Amino acid sequence: MTKRPAPISILAPESFRAKLSRRALFQMGGAAAGLAVLAACGSDDEGDSSGSAGTTGGTSASTPEGSVLGDYSNVVNSASGNLAMYTWGDYNDPEIVGALAESTLGVSMKVDYYASNEDLIVKLEASQGTSGFDIVVPTGAYLPQMIQKGLLQKLDMSKIPNFVNVDPAYTSRDWDPNNEYSICKNWGSTGWMWNKTLTGVDSISTWQEFIDVAMNQASGQTAVLDTAPNVAGMYFWANGINWTTEEAADLDAYEAFIVDEFAQHIKAFDSYPSTKIAEGAYTLAMAWNGDARQAFVRIADAGGDPSEWAWALGAPATEIWMDTYCIATGAPNPDAAHAWINWLLTPEVSIKDLNYHGYNSGMKNIDTLLAELIPDIVDADMIFFSDEQVASMQTGAVNSAQERLVDILNKVKAKAAG
Amino acid sequence: MAIAQVSSGAIGPDKDRKWGAPKWVLAAPSIVWYAAFFVVPIVFIVLYSFGTKNAASTSGVPVDLGSFSLQNYQDAFSDVFFKTFRATIRIAVTATVLCSLIGLPVAYFLAFKVSEKWRAILLAMIIVPSFTSFLIRTLAWRIPLAPNGTLSKWLQDWGVLDGPIQLLETQTAVQIALVYNYLGFMILPLFVALDRIEPGLREASKDLGAGRLTTFMRVTFPLAGPGIAAGVLLTFIPMCGDFVTATVLGGADGNMIGAMIDSQFKGAQDWPLGSAMAVMMIGAVLLVLGIGYVVVSIVRLVLRRMRSVTLPEVAR
Repeated sequence: MTKRPAPISILAPESFRAKLSRRALFQMGGAAAGLAVLAACGSDDEGDSSGSAGTTGGTSASTPEGSVLGDYSNVVNSASGNLAMYTWGDYNDPEIVGALAESTLGVSMKVDYYASNEDLIVKLEASQGTSGFDIVVPTGAYLPQMIQKGLLQKLDMSKIPNFVNVDPAYTSRDWDPNNEYSICKNWGSTGWMWNKTLTGVDSISTWQEFIDVAMNQASGQTAVLDTAPNVAGMYFWANGINWTTEEAADLDAYEAFIVDEFAQHIKAFDSYPSTKIAEGAYTLAMAWNGDARQAFVRIADAGGDPSEWAWALGAPATEIWMDTYCIATGAPNPDAAHAWINWLLTPEVSIKDLNYHGYNSGMKNIDTLLAELIPDIVDADMIFFSDEQVASMQTGAVNSAQERLVDILNKVKAKAAG
Repeated sequence: MAIAQVSSGAIGPDKDRKWGAPKWVLAAPSIVWYAAFFVVPIVFIVLYSFGTKNAASTSGVPVDLGSFSLQNYQDAFSDVFFKTFRATIRIAVTATVLCSLIGLPVAYFLAFKVSEKWRAILLAMIIVPSFTSFLIRTLAWRIPLAPNGTLSKWLQDWGVLDGPIQLLETQTAVQIALVYNYLGFMILPLFVALDRIEPGLREASKDLGAGRLTTFMRVTFPLAGPGIAAGVLLTFIPMCGDFVTATVLGGADGNMIGAMIDSQFKGAQDWPLGSAMAVMMIGAVLLVLGIGYVVVSIVRLVLRRMRSVTLPEVAR
């Protein structure tokens, strides 16, 4: 691409444009010159120029001198066939799993969603390798259990050269010390959103205040995440108890409080409250930071006033969770799965995805990368946290208390249904 | 009732048949189907309900069947879970009663008051919504009923409501949506039953001096009995197990047993407890239907006694 033809404007559907790869056009042989001009219009979107493994993405050609992108591995391997991913709701940019995956990698994706790690485990366990899913996205703390049960297969790192782009802070974690099975997709934390006008509360800065408002100003209008460790975390963090406690006394105290005193104030158990916040269903909701960030957009889309709402990260302590890309045992198309994971680790795709879901995707030097690619990203403070905030975040664990916590959550649900 | 039985003897004797296979062969496909996909899974559920949870199992099913245990049933009967159980039965019974109260006049209207031409159109209007996915119809409720939704804003602008609609995430929402989702299944069998009533019977009742109300109560309604029974079965049983309506519209307040069983299987990975709840649910549904049957039988018996006419003995 020494000389780019002057771009022309055509009215073509996005899906068609994305399919217009140069390769396809070359295959047409003596296509009219006009088509070559047309192809150039689509060149910004395409990643593959020849389709063979190990070629660099076409995008790097247009990178200006001195761009930070040159510091990253930019390998895009092509694949073919179908690729099935089982993941959390609304967790990838729809363009990335749709038209771009098709045009860049040559795979056609099918995505299905689960609401909790347990759902995922039950699905994979009960199907014994015949689930048909290639890529799954469990949370780090659940990996040891899944590896022990043989639900995941080892990654072939030779097919994921872009792994070098991942910030070492997010590799080699306790749950998979050598990254044999998993690669960080993104990480996030937990806090809450509230409507300042309807609750009449201007500041909720700690879990204890969250509990107070939920039991008073927002009683009957509060949503909590539908996961046992998060509901427990609210109580443990408010009371200075270790989140991963296995002490019976702590668990008893938690049960007594949450079932007898707190349950009746809960309106819903909702892991993705952003949509219903926009509908006006809650005035206070516990939320993961990325979902909360989307809530502001959705409130505006629904004709609401986002300035009535505020977000705060959990304090004095809160969680850090990391979701990881893994390949399921018995995956029908492991080649495509490796190619896809590798593609998601190219800086531009990673940042495009981050801008959609609102969680830190763990690229190295992410600040510089972001400054170059999306300098005007909205609500960046809901994606990236200060060092003090990160220091206050605790990693979860699936330990002997897990079963008890789920039991307690079920009791809370039964009580709330009263 | 006697009329329906007259025609049943018209089928010819077996001698005429050339193919000697037993009659139930025709039912074999459905027998095999139900055995494989209904009976076998239910048997497993019953078995699991006596097992113990084993999350570390690598057999694909986190259940230990080694020791026979009633612990799951004790847990399922515990106060917290039983509450959801009672709420489910209450919601389903209320919704069934509402369905029949709303459905009966509609079916009556369709069967007796509407011209042939309009009947087909009106029936189609009742049936066609049932062709739309159950899930989509339920989700669609969220749009107009949202507290910040258009309807809510209009009602507030017009001064009908003081604040936003607070219907979603409540038991009331589940209750209303259940009636809406299942109403068609009540109207259709009722309509079929009413439509099959010989017009002559109702005319005879009139000729013999009965008013409209008496005709309805003593002729039409009793003859519609099988239709009512079918309608109750078709609505009450699926309502008890309904999972979608409660999950989509219910919030914490509208939790039903279906969602609780689901959370035992998935969230808690406690298949034995979930199985025990499911078995109890099946039992409770049968029990409620059994009680309903007994009550109806008693009422009929009493009515028959009260209304019986003793013809004076005529000396021969």
